[in-house]
Amino acid sequence: MTKRFTLLLALLFALSANAAEPVVPTGLLPLDGRPAPALKLADMDGHATDLAQLRGGWVLVHFWATWCGPCKKEMPTLQRMSALVPVTELRVLLVNTAETDDEVFTFLPSVAPDMATLMDRDGKATERWQPRGLPSSFLVDPQGRLRYLALGGRVWDSAEYVAFLRSLASPKN
Amino acid sequence: MTYTAETPEPGTYRGQGIVLHVSARTPEQMAAFYSARGFPENAVKALAQTCFVTAGMRNDRKETVWLELANWRFVDSAGNEVHRLKRSDWDALWDQLKLPPASRATFGWTQMPESRDMQPGEPVGGNVTVIPPEGSFTLEARFRVGHEPGGQVLQVRIPGIVCGGRGVVEAKP
Repeated sequence: MTKRFTLLLALLFALSANAAEPVVPTGLLPLDGRPAPALKLADMDGHATDLAQLRGGWVLVHFWATWCGPCKKEMPTLQRMSALVPVTELRVLLVNTAETDDEVFTFLPSVAPDMATLMDRDGKATERWQPRGLPSSFLVDPQGRLRYLALGGRVWDSAEYVAFLRSLASPKN
Repeated sequence: MTYTAETPEPGTYRGQGIVLHVSARTPEQMAAFYSARGFPENAVKALAQTCFVTAGMRNDRKETVWLELANWRFVDSAGNEVHRLKRSDWDALWDQLKLPPASRATFGWTQMPESRDMQPGEPVGGNVTVIPPEGSFTLEARFRVGHEPGGQVLQVRIPGIVCGGRGVVEAKP
């Protein structure tokens, strides 16, 4: 009887442990946890951001360009997601690839007026990250390791993505 | 077995768990695109002499599909191979023309990758450049599936591609 009860408890524990595991949404590819490449860029106002200084929290690094059709569709979902996931749980860094202030300035306010972007003016930072194309998003964990890669454009403000992103900040992750 | 794209979606193949769409751009379209992004005149001139075939593909299978442009063959109506310009060909030209890094980056990200392990659900898109042939030509593409050597190979044939504004597969501006 005791043995059966213990087994039942173990089963319940295993089930609850599984339930607490964040479900990785479709379109996110788990990565091997290699260190994220360096990323230190300035925005259009000249304010620099260094990814290394953001250790301790999860960071979404998103590479984009104004000419990229899927970027135009995805960007508003990033803005809406940013309003749903507190910055204490996830920092979002947009990185424009190899374009000018004028190009970005005429594009970004029309699709995501509340977002600011870092400017990879010569495209070399993007190259170091080796995205699979544009748009491309990486999730970097609090230790600065690459943990997930988004395959193409994603609907970041969908319920499954928001739930997953919020779960990342739990102590377990 | 080779599967052929059929109407009512000219230039589009749907089947075997993949979607592949190709459309030829006019030299004017490409010159305008790259000029607007600050490409120097000599680079735009070189670009306008080639034919840009914009391709978009999605893997709807449950396993990896291998995109390898080396397994793409363009043939004219007489069965002669249409020469495809590889990324290395463009790199050599850009070296010669001393194309600025930002333009090189933009050009690179607007091209179809030479190879890609397309994950389930993953889209990929970009341009493939060829020396424009007379008349229409056909894409014959092969895609390996999965990770086993000697595994399944998908074959797709899309006829009716025409450069420079004369063909059924030409993109609308």
